[in-house]
Amino acid sequence: MVEFTLPKNSKITEGKTWPHAEKAGEETAFRIYRWNPDDGQNPRVDTYYVDRNDCGPMVLDALIWIKNNIDPTLTFRRSCREGVCGSCAMNIDGTNTLACTKAIDDSKAPVKIYPLPHQPVVKDLVPDLKNFYAQYASIEPWLHTTTATPEKEWKQSHEDRAKLDGMYECILCACCSTSCPSYWWNSDRYLGPAALLQANRWVQDSRDEATGERLDNLEDPFRLYRCHTILNCSKACPKGLNPAKEIAQLKKAMVDRQL
Amino acid sequence: MAVNGNGKANGGPAVNGRAYPIEDHSYDVIVVGAGGSGLRAVVGCSEAGLRTACITKVFPTRSHTVAAQGGIAAALGNMGEDDWRWHMYDTVKGADWLGDQDSIEYMCRNAPAAVYELEHWGLPFSRREEDGKIYQRPFGGMTTHYGKGTAQRTCAAADRTGHAMLHTMYGQALKHAAEFYIEYFAIDLIMDDEGRCRGVVALNMDDGTIHRFTANMVILATGGYGRAYFSCTSAHICTGDGGGMMLRAGLPLQDMEFVQFHPTGIYPAGCLITEGSRGEGGYLTNSEGERFMERYAPSAKDLASRDVVSRAMTMEIREGRGVGKDKDHIYLHLDHLDPKVLAERLPGISETARIFAGVDVTREPIPVLPTVHYNMGGIATNYHGEAVTLKNGNPDTVIPGLMALGEAGCVSVHGANRLGSNSLIDLVVFGRAAALRCAEILTPGETQPDLPKDSADFALARLDKFRNASGGTPTAQLRLNMQRVMQNNCAVFRTGEVLDEGQKLIHDVYDSMPDLKVSDRSLIWNSDLIETLELDNLIAQAVVTMESAKNRTESRGGHAREDYPERDDKNWMKHTLAWMDEKGKVKIDYRPVHTYTLTNDVSYIEPKARVY
Amino acid sequence: MIGQHPNEMRTPMRRVRGLGPAHTGTGHFWHQRVTSAAGVLLSIALIVIAIALLGRSHAAAVQILASPLVAILMLLFIVNSAYHMWIGMQEIILDYVHEDKAKLFSLLANTFFCFAVAFASAFAILKLSFGV
Repeated sequence: MVEFTLPKNSKITEGKTWPHAEKAGEETAFRIYRWNPDDGQNPRVDTYYVDRNDCGPMVLDALIWIKNNIDPTLTFRRSCREGVCGSCAMNIDGTNTLACTKAIDDSKAPVKIYPLPHQPVVKDLVPDLKNFYAQYASIEPWLHTTTATPEKEWKQSHEDRAKLDGMYECILCACCSTSCPSYWWNSDRYLGPAALLQANRWVQDSRDEATGERLDNLEDPFRLYRCHTILNCSKACPKGLNPAKEIAQLKKAMVDRQL
Repeated sequence: MAVNGNGKANGGPAVNGRAYPIEDHSYDVIVVGAGGSGLRAVVGCSEAGLRTACITKVFPTRSHTVAAQGGIAAALGNMGEDDWRWHMYDTVKGADWLGDQDSIEYMCRNAPAAVYELEHWGLPFSRREEDGKIYQRPFGGMTTHYGKGTAQRTCAAADRTGHAMLHTMYGQALKHAAEFYIEYFAIDLIMDDEGRCRGVVALNMDDGTIHRFTANMVILATGGYGRAYFSCTSAHICTGDGGGMMLRAGLPLQDMEFVQFHPTGIYPAGCLITEGSRGEGGYLTNSEGERFMERYAPSAKDLASRDVVSRAMTMEIREGRGVGKDKDHIYLHLDHLDPKVLAERLPGISETARIFAGVDVTREPIPVLPTVHYNMGGIATNYHGEAVTLKNGNPDTVIPGLMALGEAGCVSVHGANRLGSNSLIDLVVFGRAAALRCAEILTPGETQPDLPKDSADFALARLDKFRNASGGTPTAQLRLNMQRVMQNNCAVFRTGEVLDEGQKLIHDVYDSMPDLKVSDRSLIWNSDLIETLELDNLIAQAVVTMESAKNRTESRGGHAREDYPERDDKNWMKHTLAWMDEKGKVKIDYRPVHTYTLTNDVSYIEPKARVY
Repeated sequence: MIGQHPNEMRTPMRRVRGLGPAHTGTGHFWHQRVTSAAGVLLSIALIVIAIALLGRSHAAAVQILASPLVAILMLLFIVNSAYHMWIGMQEIILDYVHEDKAKLFSLLANTFFCFAVAFASAFAILKLSFGV
């Protein structure tokens, strides 16, 4: 059955309040989920105070500031710090987003930071996304063609290329999928908005010759049809994409080929 | 399920009174790094039937290739006349004649096929309205007819080319069922007594286990070390881990003094604004509103080579014509461009400028500053990607079992300065070349001699040392010290005095490494430990960079010495090779530049004055 | 790892591929939409009929309900609603009930219930119609 409460070993306890930095100017409080797989304790929420005069404007800046100045054990993924790699996806102030493009001032203090919801936690803010990545791989994200490959490029009209806009930009951060209640309940069988958006990216690609097989692969009560147009995905996407629209397009294609 | 250092010994050596269990893997080819070049090599080797594994510290699509924006250069000729020889000329000139012309010929000649291959794999290139062919945009330093006209040579997927390319190549890797070890941090190379590379030791961050990979070929595709500097466009993961491993293995790095500053990093965040923005018609202005590039590069103007533009901007700021409250940056104007063009071709940087500079590009200029962007230097290789070193007087001695690619390598096609959009083509052309070479010299399933028992000791001792480091300086503090020294003493313009000071300061930082303090003692996702191992890689390369810069008494490409303002072909037409020992002592020697081409289709391009 | 999937020793790909696509689902998807559109129209008809029945004597009500047009509308409403309800409830069960036996039981119960309701209602209308 659906879990409505956390299992006993996952119940979150009140954690440590870390000391203020020396000579701190204006401060913002951060409440951050912590869980260490090595210590056998339940997860906790620690409180940190970030010196805003010494820290950049984004939530990721604050996390790095905490790691550098207060608590080096705080663990999170990060890489590009400009919103293109998708590493630092987390739940900030109740919303899944990228820490690197989320301004601290856009959240209510204290800023509450949790890992992406409903994924196994490896440590602190690091979720295990192996299932998510396998789902991405399962939609076969490469061009399928059988026609003899041309010497130069496959031609594609400007209009056909424009159909990929809004999909090829996806950075696989998992903000959408992990914000979707349907995905929470059925992530083992429902592909989730990110993988479905990617599926549609290849279905819509005018160069791809396996549209039918791609749709066949999605023709399933769970893989595709657990989407109930809740629209959390589109609200969450930090890149401004609209996975719900792409899923609707897939469903339309499914119906179109029956009529 | 946590496996930590106190776990049961499994043949692993005892270090610090504890033992790390080791898991062994054997492959034909091991690729370290899953960026553009790593993935291309993985795909190529898998296709060739070689058992290939890719070790990467981040999920492949999070590699820094994802942040490349402007495009990938190839003389397709879709937008007008073009020829790979012109591309070659531009690259040689961009490199300030320090590039190896056989490699440059190989790259430019194979570039179109590489781009078509990416297209066939599904890369969503922007298209020409007229005929549905790949759209190409002008880029800095790219010309036609050997410098006479402006070339439109850079193929683009809007301003997210690297992202589109990386995702496309990851898809191909999935298609070929390549084996990935994701979030494994490579600690050190395994070298045998004969100097052959036999594999790598890596830490699985997910559960803290140690893995020993043996292979007949190890390909380092670990990227650059931009994070040695305080302000860079590079991602946090760009810590040059391959270069660090090389130096510790007693192998040299080449041309490390050549660090590219990208003219347009957002001020002050450092995020990249593509050169494609100037390719699409953007221009730079100083506090007087003057398009100052017309003075420095009368013919190419804002599309001069990156080192030229960065120096010009630095000069303007120095002479008091910077913009902003502190007159310390420059404006990049896109506001005169059609909003439709911005939306179609530069949507990504429009978003970046809004988020990180609060600027609406359709109305206001973007504040920008030259920012560390690319390392031309790295592991010396030939055009097959095989790592080479100077040994017994032979400057092209291949290090058996080792290859290097991409920013980690130094082929050297970029010489003293890389042209924009030449890095993406470098990745795929040489990633493919390395795979072809592996297919040629390796036999699938070839047996490997047993490793000596102590093969992982070096790596584990180092891991253990840092994991239990309990000095007085936290990793972050030491890293900051290093970054400040590099930023202040090894920047766009260099002088002997500043470099002398820098040499002392960077060695001070290096010498303080034993005082490191690591707070996290765990092994599962111990990012404090990983950052420390990365710092160890960075600092070694920072020292080597500073020493190499001090050593080269001329100005060439990205290395501008105010005390030696001229290029000196008589004495310095050679690659720097730098070794470093454990104490931080650097030894410098040289390799000659390859002043020959691969075929008779093109002849050696003689050095001449570099004017844009 | 906290909150890990119970089948942690299986690879993620094994879980994701599972038993493969069922090659069904689209039928239910568009049937659900068609029956809801039909449901709107039929509900209007039903409301009109209900209003017409207000304040009538039993005999008069039976006479209205037994007329062929009203009976057919009522039958359509019943069949449409039961089918719509069946699909809808099944969706909810698939969403929330994961344990195999419980799921099978709920799906069967849903089917039986929908059929029973539909047949009982249809029987009532037919009985009125044919005056048996």
